[in-house]
Order: sequence, then C-alpha cells, then structure tokens
Amino acid sequence: MTALSELTRPWAAMSYGFLDASAKREMRRKMLKAIAVPGCQMVYASREVPMARGWGTGGLQVTLTLVNPASVVKVIDQGADDSVNAVSIRKFLARVSGARETWDTLEATILQSRHRIPEELMREDQILVLQVPNPEPLRPVEPNMSVAREMHADADYGRLWLILYEQMVRSGRIMQGAAYPSLVNGRHVITPSPIPRWDVPKLHMAHHLTFLSAGREKRIFAVPPFTSVEPLVFSDVPYKVEEHGDLTCHRSGVKGYFMNEIPQDDGSSAFELSDSNLGIKAIQARDGEPVKIGETWYNSGAMQ
Amino acid sequence: MAYVATRGGESAIVQSERLYRAGLGAIDADRVAEVGSALPWLVDRVMGEASLYEPESAALALAQTGGDLYETVLLLRAWRTTQPRLAIAEPVLQENLFTHRRISAAFKDIPGGQILGPTLDYSHRILATSVLEGNPFMPEPVAPADEPAPARQPSLAAWQKAQGLVADPPREEVAPKDIPDLTREALLFPAPRAHVLQSLARADTGGVLTLGYSAMRGYGNAHPTVNELRLAEAEVCVRHPRGTVFSAGRVKVSQAEVAAKEAEGIRLGFAATLGWNEIKVISAATLDLNAPGAAKGSPVEEEFVLYHTEPVEASGFCIHFKLPHYVTFQSSLDAIRNAKTKDAVPAKPTPTAAKTKTRELEKEPAE
Repeated sequence: MTALSELTRPWAAMSYGFLDASAKREMRRKMLKAIAVPGCQMVYASREVPMARGWGTGGLQVTLTLVNPASVVKVIDQGADDSVNAVSIRKFLARVSGARETWDTLEATILQSRHRIPEELMREDQILVLQVPNPEPLRPVEPNMSVAREMHADADYGRLWLILYEQMVRSGRIMQGAAYPSLVNGRHVITPSPIPRWDVPKLHMAHHLTFLSAGREKRIFAVPPFTSVEPLVFSDVPYKVEEHGDLTCHRSGVKGYFMNEIPQDDGSSAFELSDSNLGIKAIQARDGEPVKIGETWYNSGAMQ
Repeated sequence: MAYVATRGGESAIVQSERLYRAGLGAIDADRVAEVGSALPWLVDRVMGEASLYEPESAALALAQTGGDLYETVLLLRAWRTTQPRLAIAEPVLQENLFTHRRISAAFKDIPGGQILGPTLDYSHRILATSVLEGNPFMPEPVAPADEPAPARQPSLAAWQKAQGLVADPPREEVAPKDIPDLTREALLFPAPRAHVLQSLARADTGGVLTLGYSAMRGYGNAHPTVNELRLAEAEVCVRHPRGTVFSAGRVKVSQAEVAAKEAEGIRLGFAATLGWNEIKVISAATLDLNAPGAAKGSPVEEEFVLYHTEPVEASGFCIHFKLPHYVTFQSSLDAIRNAKTKDAVPAKPTPTAAKTKTRELEKEPAE
C-alpha cells in the first residue's frame, strides 16, 4: 500500500508566493481573459490575503501570481517607494517569493502601484499592476453593479458623458480629478484607477502590459501593450492634465513632472517630485554619482 | 538621499506594530485557552464571520489582535483560504441536529416542545459589581429536568408543509462538489441560492443586524415572526475514500426561520451560521425574507445586503481611507483652482481678472 507521505510533499506553512495553486490558476485564467478583451472587467474569486481589503489586495493577488524568484519588484504608493503601505507590500512580496526588491523603475520586472504610473518610460518586458479601489467607472451614475454590467455589455455610456457635460455647465470645465474615465480599444470604458490625469496618456499605446485589479470588488481588467486608451472628452474641449508642467521640484531642481504640493508656513507652496525615486536619482546625478535615469513620457512638461 | 532622510517609512511601520503588540504583551497557549473558555460566544461569532470552525484558532486570533473583531476575522479568513480542502461533508438535516435550544414564536407549543436551552433572554441585566469588590460571581447549579428533552427535534416547517401552509419546493439534487462555493467564485447577481446563504452565514453580525433592523422597522415589506430558532450541534459526516461515511466531529450551528404571513400561505426566510449567534441568524433570515422583489438599491435588496455586510471587505475599505490620498487630492485641487479662475472672470471684470483669463486661455493648448 502507498504511504500517504509518498503522495504528498512535506508540510509547509504556505505555498510559494502565498496563494495556493488553485487560486493562482484562477488568477492566470482571468488575467488572460482580461488581456483578450481589453478594458472589460473580469470577475474573480479574490482570496483573502494577509492584508486588509482596500489596501492593494487585488494588485497583490496579480503580483503574487506573476512573481517568481527571478523577478525584481518595485512597489509605490502615491509615487513613493518608502510610503508605509508600499513598504509593507514590497516586504511581503519579497518574503513569500524570494524576489529582489528595487526602487528603480528601470530595474523592475513587476511594478505594483497605487495611484501613479512612474515618469520613466516602461518597456515591453515590464508589467504594471495598478491597485484599484473601485473598478466601475459607471459607479457615479449607477451604483448597482449588476445594472452597470449590463450597461457595459450595451456600451451604454451616455450617462457618463452627461455628468462630464454637467460639470462643464456648472463649473466651466470638467471637474474630474484623478481616475479619469477612458475608452480602451474603442470599446470598454474603464477607470484607470485613481491615477492623476497626468498619467492616463501613459497607458495609450504603451509598450508595457498593465493589469488593474480590485481585490475587494473582485474585478480585474487589463490594458495590453499597444492598445488605445482615450480619455472621454468632447471633440471641441481638449483633455487637460494637471498644470504641473511648469513646476520645479524644490529638492532636486527637476522641472516638468507631476508634483506633490507641500504647504509652507508662510502661506506659499513648495513642490516636490511625486515620483520619489526619480527625485532621488536626479539628486544623485546632480551630486555627480553614477546613476541611470531613463527616458520619460513627458519632456519639459509636455507629453511626447 | 535627501528624500529618504525625510521619510523613514520603513522603520516607522515596524515600530508602530511593535507599539501595538507591546500593549498586548506575550501571547502564550494559556492566554489562548483562557480566551477560549471565558468568551465562547465571542469565539462563536468570530468563527461564523470567518467561516472557519476551529475554536482554538479563533481564540488565538482574538488573543493576537487584542480583540479587534475585524482584524480577528481577517486573520482567520486569510489563514482559511490557504488551507487544502480534504473533503465535502454530507448535508446537515434539521431533524438530525443535536439540539440544545429550539423555540418558536409562532405557536404556544410545537411538536417536540419549546426547548429554552441556554439563554440570557429572561435574565435581569444587572452588572455584577460585587465581583470587582472581591466577591466572585458563582453561577447557581442547573437543576436537571424531570424528563430530558429529546436530543433530536423535528422541524416546525415540516409540520407546516404537511398542513399545506408552507410551500414545499422540489429538492434540487446537486452533487456536493458542484455546490457553488462563494470562496472560490465571485458573487454575481441574481445570486445562486447557495451563494446567498453562504454570504449570510459569513456576514458581519453588526451589518446584518443594522440592515435587518431597518427591514423590521418598516424599510422592508415583510414583518418577521420567528417560526423556529435553533441552537444545535451538527455532526460533520464525511465519506472515507473507501466509501464509509463517518462523523469527523460536531460543530455548533445556529439557524433561524422567520415567517411572513401572506394570502397564499406562509413564506419563510432562512439563515444559518457556524457557532451560536442568535441575533445574526434572526437578522439574516429577516433579510432573506425581504429580499425577493425588493427594489434595486433598497436596503433589503439582495445585492445591497450581501455586498455591504461582508465584514472583511467593509472594514478593509473603511480603514483604507487612512492611507495617503494626496495624489488624487492634488489632481482635484488643480481642477478646483482652474475652475475658480474661470469663475472670477464674470464676477470681477477688472483688467487684472481679464488678464488672468487671457493667460489661462493661452496656456491651455500648450498642456
């Protein structure tokens, strides 16, 4: 008779990469579906992970499925690698996968981010994983998810256009800040997650693959490489990114990127680069240290 | 490295966790055992919401979090989801439950009798302050009944079905492995019956009470009568690979049936959960009773109820608002300032304002 021990592997406290094989298999299938229908929200079981819902559990499940011992992971929150939750996620990834950690966008193979896309161009061999709090661009006009799902099936986006129009009538401009609704591949409207408007054009015809994953809401969607991503705008009202092109980082002296505004005691504001590691590299370069700064999407404050 | 020096996030999170844990002190097996024996009703509540019946793990999770219930449930859920599935148990039937307590508000007496079992329902809620003065509270001994209540009780609904008062829908025969499993697939609407009952079973007690209470007060269309409330132990019967069915042990379960009186007969709402938690099953059964036909977005509609009473999702999203949101804030600030500049033009048609307007118009195409 076969002994039980011959049929099983030795007991281990957890699987490689934390998620068990059945969870990863489901994730892979849903990730492939998401790539196959760009921008279409795919439902997944979304396992509980050792982190609270709403804290990047969706992004984490994607990264845990993609990661392998040769991976190099970068995790940012609001553009910063040392933001507390980014640190926590990166440490967890390294602990359960053995992957190398990095702060450098150029080095990373998997880049998990909350609310920013780095300023340095991403390549074909890199994957961006965006954490998504609310995957449903229709939520402001239709809070019921099953109704919203039918509206996507019908490409029924009229009410979304209407609220943008109403904003223009009421306020003289479209007031949508971050998470600007965008049409992917000419078919599905997505929320690009709460990235600033500054970052949305980086998704359009990008060289890299982007996964957007909402763990709490159990939805995943993707923007495959070389796919069109067009913010919803009226033909006579151009898309406006934040007016940060002329701002200068008071730490690094770099100009022309998305900035954090730091209120000052004298009533004025100082600005610092939101992409914190680009700021560090700029300071290192200024001080004569050998450091490689990649090409950026924006040059002199304008998208290339 | 000027950026790094001013942030120091990595060491801050390590120290803040240490500060929390320092307040709890050492956690050893004795503390876990003490939590388990002193707080069985809390352990039950946690096991239900975690959908993991393991009293020792639940007590450990309570000890490890210092009693933060949402953290406790998350710890157990995250542990549960990694565990292998060894078998699927045989269905639990009401008439086979080892019943400790079983009451009905619908009839004065019912077949099998009203069995009060353990309850504080009729106690005087007086705080035993004498304990703090050094006089331990010693529970009075329980006097056994002359005739012990039968361990197994028929369901009241069976009698009602025989009377033609309750519709008896045909039983769907589903192979155990084909029962939809909420923990392995996402909840979509209209939800399969299995998903509804599983969601209610692991719902947040406070959440189902809040929404259930709103239905009871009148935001629902059906007023519940407790048809049957039961606290019991269920045998977990599993099939050995050789074919023998055996009991792997007993788990505490609670279940409630609430009734709506309608012209066509009695309609029932049902909920059950692991552990003994009467508030939860009565509230959840009330929501189950009120869900059919409820308007989209009403507080008793299926999608509204099930999405908003998920304890791990709801608590996680609530605390996520503590995370920095300065990028999104900055993005909106830009739009607000820009809109204000535009507002200023008609209100103050001064040369300065007009200049601002011109400058802004000039800037726009360059963006």
